[in-house]
Amino acid sequence: MAVSPLVDGLPNPAARAVSSPLKNAASAQASSNGTPVPAVAPNATAAVQSAALDLSEQMNEDEKRKYIKGKKLGEGTYANVYLGQVRNDPSQLVAIKKIKINKEYTEGMSPDAVREIKHLQELDHPNIIKLHTVFSSKDQNLNLVLEFLPLGDLEILIKDTANVHYGVADTKAWMGMLTRAVWFCHENFVLHRDIKPNNLLIAADGEVKLADFGLARSFSDPYRPMTSNVITRWYRPPELLFGARHYSAAVDVWSVGLVFAELVMRAPYLAGNTELEQIELICKGVGTPTEENWPGVTKLPEYTISNQITPVLGKDHYNALFGTVGNEGVDLLMKTLILDPRKRITARDMLKHPWWHKDPKPTRKKELPRKSGGEGEEKVGADLKCRPGVVDEDRTNKVARKLDFGGPL
Amino acid sequence: MATEDARYRQSSQYRLWSFTTGHLASLRNECNSLAQKAISARLQSASPNDALPEFLTPAEELSLVTHYTVELLRAAAFIELPTEIRATAAIFLRRFYVTNSIMTYPPTELLKTCLFFGCKAEGHYMRLSKFADKFPNTTGEEVLAAEYVLSQGIRFAFDVRHPFRALEGAIMELRRLGDFENKRIDRAHGKAREILKFSPLVTDAYFHYTPSQIMLAALAMADEGLVDRMLREAFAAQGDTAKEKCWDLIQACRAMLEKEPPRR
Repeated sequence: MAVSPLVDGLPNPAARAVSSPLKNAASAQASSNGTPVPAVAPNATAAVQSAALDLSEQMNEDEKRKYIKGKKLGEGTYANVYLGQVRNDPSQLVAIKKIKINKEYTEGMSPDAVREIKHLQELDHPNIIKLHTVFSSKDQNLNLVLEFLPLGDLEILIKDTANVHYGVADTKAWMGMLTRAVWFCHENFVLHRDIKPNNLLIAADGEVKLADFGLARSFSDPYRPMTSNVITRWYRPPELLFGARHYSAAVDVWSVGLVFAELVMRAPYLAGNTELEQIELICKGVGTPTEENWPGVTKLPEYTISNQITPVLGKDHYNALFGTVGNEGVDLLMKTLILDPRKRITARDMLKHPWWHKDPKPTRKKELPRKSGGEGEEKVGADLKCRPGVVDEDRTNKVARKLDFGGPL
Repeated sequence: MATEDARYRQSSQYRLWSFTTGHLASLRNECNSLAQKAISARLQSASPNDALPEFLTPAEELSLVTHYTVELLRAAAFIELPTEIRATAAIFLRRFYVTNSIMTYPPTELLKTCLFFGCKAEGHYMRLSKFADKFPNTTGEEVLAAEYVLSQGIRFAFDVRHPFRALEGAIMELRRLGDFENKRIDRAHGKAREILKFSPLVTDAYFHYTPSQIMLAALAMADEGLVDRMLREAFAAQGDTAKEKCWDLIQACRAMLEKEPPRR
C-alpha cells in the first residue's frame, strides 16, 4: 500500500493531546443525520462536559436560545416543521424545520440538506425564503430557522379555480417576484434546479418567496460535468431531457416560463407522464428541436425525437392560448421557451422586458388574491417537511431520489 | 444590492468568518481557556490526586493547526482532489479550530472529516467507503464520526469564497490591457496560482481579507508590476488616496502570505 501523507514523523506536542482522556471526535453522540453510534456510550463525565461547553457549543446555544419552539405544523419523513417565535420579540414568527434521519442515506449529512443550507446561508433577498440561522439540538438534530410563510404556495392558488380568481395584473406581480428571485440566484452564481409553483411560497404580506434549495448548486466550471437529472419533469428544459451534462442558468429560465404559462392557463402547460412523453409535448407545444433551430442539439447524449417534426410555433399559437397577458406578455413567454438554451432569454433580460411597464400594472402585493382559511398554515408544514428536491408523488415523478450521488452533480 | 462588495458582505464568509486580528486572537484565547477548564474538570473528576498536565498555549495550538492544515493539503493531493475542494477543506479545518481546541478534538481524525465534508460541500460526492479506503487504517465510521461536530463548528457555513476565479479574471484583464508580454503574464499566472493553492490556506488570510485582496497579494508576490498596472487602471477615476489605501492593504496581506511560501 502507498504510504499515506498523513503519517508524519513529527515528534509532535499534539501527542499529549491525542493521548489525553478527552472527549474526542469518536465519542460524539449518535446523530439523526447518519453519524454512526459510537461503540462505547459517553461515560459518567457527561455531566462535567455539559457544564463546560466549548466555544462552538456556546455559540450554538446562543443561536438556539434566540427562538422559542412552538406547536408542530407538519410532520414528514424528511423533517418536522414547528412554529417558532423570536425570544426577544414574540410577535415575530419563524418556521423551525427539524431535519430527521435520512434512512436512505447512510453517509452522514444528506446532500440535499447540505445544498439547502449552503445556498440559503448566502442568499438574502426579499423573494427568496430567508434562513435566519441553523442550530443543532440534542441528539444532533439539525434545525433550520426559516422565515414563516403562512399563505401556502402558488400551486394552491392556481389549482383552486372555484374559489381563487385572479387576472393579468396579479400574474404580472407574481411573475415579477419570481423573476427577481431567479435573477438574484443567478447573479450569485447559483442554479436553483427545481422551480415550480409549489416551491413558490407566499408570505403574510403576499410576497412570493422561492424556497426549496435542495437541488441547487453553484455554477460549474466549464470542464466539470453536472447531472442532467434535475428539475421536476413538467418544468424540465429540453437540454436536460436530452441528457446535457454542461448547462447554464437557462435551465431555470425555462421553468420560469412554464410557471408563467401555468399561471395563465391554471393548468400545467406541458404535463408529461414520462420523460419521453415530456419531449413529445415540448415538440408539439413549442417546436421540435433540430440542428436548424438549435445547432448541436443532435449531439446531446439522449437526443431522441419522433419522425413528426413540428416547426417552432409562432406567435399565433401562443396568442390563442396566452393572449390575455397581451402582446408583450406573449413575447416574454416565448423568449423563455426558446429551445436553444444559448438563445433563451436570461433572467436579467427578463427584468428589462417592456411587459412589466405595459398596462395593467402589477397588483400591489397586499391586494393580491389569497387563499382564505387555515389551509395555508397546514401547507407551510406540508411544503417544508418534504425532503427538498422531492416532488409530491401524487403530482408528478420524483427527481432527487433518482440522483446518483456517486456521479457528478 | 447588486454590487460585488454588497454581495460579499452578505456571504457567510464575511458575516460569520471575518474578524479583525484582535477579535480572532480573543476567540482563540477564550477557546483555549475553556478547553483547559473542561479538561481539568474531567481529569480531576476521574483521578483527583493526579497533577494536571501542562496545557498548550493559544500560540502553540495555532502552530499545530497550521501544521495539520499542511498535512490536510498533502492528504488532499494524495487522493487527487480538485483544487477548490482542497481549499474548502483546509478552510473548514482552520475555522473549526477557532472555536474548538486541538486539545479536545484530535486533528488527524478531523482532517479526514474535513476532506470528506469538503467534497460534499463542493457537490463532489464520493462514496464513504471509497473515501476511507484511500487512507490506511481508516474506516468510514471514523470519517463520519466528527461530521456533525464539524458542521456545527463551522457554524453551518458551507460556502467558502476562494480567490482562484478572481485570478483567472485578473489574468484576462492583464491580457486585455496589452501592456505586457504574454510570457510575463503566463509566468506570474502560474506562480500566483501556486501561492493561492497554499499560502492563504495555511495562514489567517481568509479571516482578514476578501478573495480579491488575497488574489492581488499573491499576484504581487509573483510580479508586483502587474498589480501596480491593474490598480492604476481600476483607480483611474478615484485619485491616489483610494489607490494607496488599497495598495497598503494588499501589501499587508502579502506580508502574511510570505510567511508561508509554497513548499516544493
